[in-house]
Amino acid sequence: MSMLALVRKQLKSHPALIPLFIFIGGGAAMSMLYLGRLALKNPDVSWDRKNNPEPWNKMTPDHQYKLFTVNMDYSKLEKNRPDF
Amino acid sequence: MQRKDLLCPTSGNKSRANHIAAFGHQRAKQRDRISFRYPNLHSSIMADAIESKIKNYRTAPFDSRFPNTNQTRNCFQNYLDFHRCNKALSEKDQDTSPCDWYQRVYKSICPSVWVNNWDEGIEGGSFAGRV
Repeated sequence: MSMLALVRKQLKSHPALIPLFIFIGGGAAMSMLYLGRLALKNPDVSWDRKNNPEPWNKMTPDHQYKLFTVNMDYSKLEKNRPDF
Repeated sequence: MQRKDLLCPTSGNKSRANHIAAFGHQRAKQRDRISFRYPNLHSSIMADAIESKIKNYRTAPFDSRFPNTNQTRNCFQNYLDFHRCNKALSEKDQDTSPCDWYQRVYKSICPSVWVNNWDEGIEGGSFAGRV
């Protein structure tokens, strides 16, 4: 029998194991989602060193990457460095 | 580098977008007239604004590119920006005094040992960063 069919058969006789699958599966999904966000959206990550060598310099001054900020209001930040 | 006008602080992205949309064409014509008659006006306005900011300098401001506790990138980026700014402005024959902002920031943040090593590297040609 395939793995999935075997698990399904066992779950029918032990239905209390279903929440276990839900929580473990949810935890794994959230970890993968966070790793994906880190890989794709993190401004410190540069996938293409030739064409995009310093992606953190392309952020606007009020761009917030952190998920939760407690004391810093990013919408009030302005650019305060000289252009060149 | 993004060229945002230092003298018009934004009060929020939406209002700025509407403002630009409403008056963008007039500002563009005004900018062209000004830049034709006074080719160094933008840089001299910027130099004055930066000069007053440098005079009132207390410490390195919050940089949203480096929001976490580890500020080594912040130090290195300002060091690089100082040298790049000097190089870019002296190639355009403009006054390099706005670049002193970057020097103040990296002197505030960077350990002096690092700064000395990097300075030696730049003089000797062995500096690893792109300046």
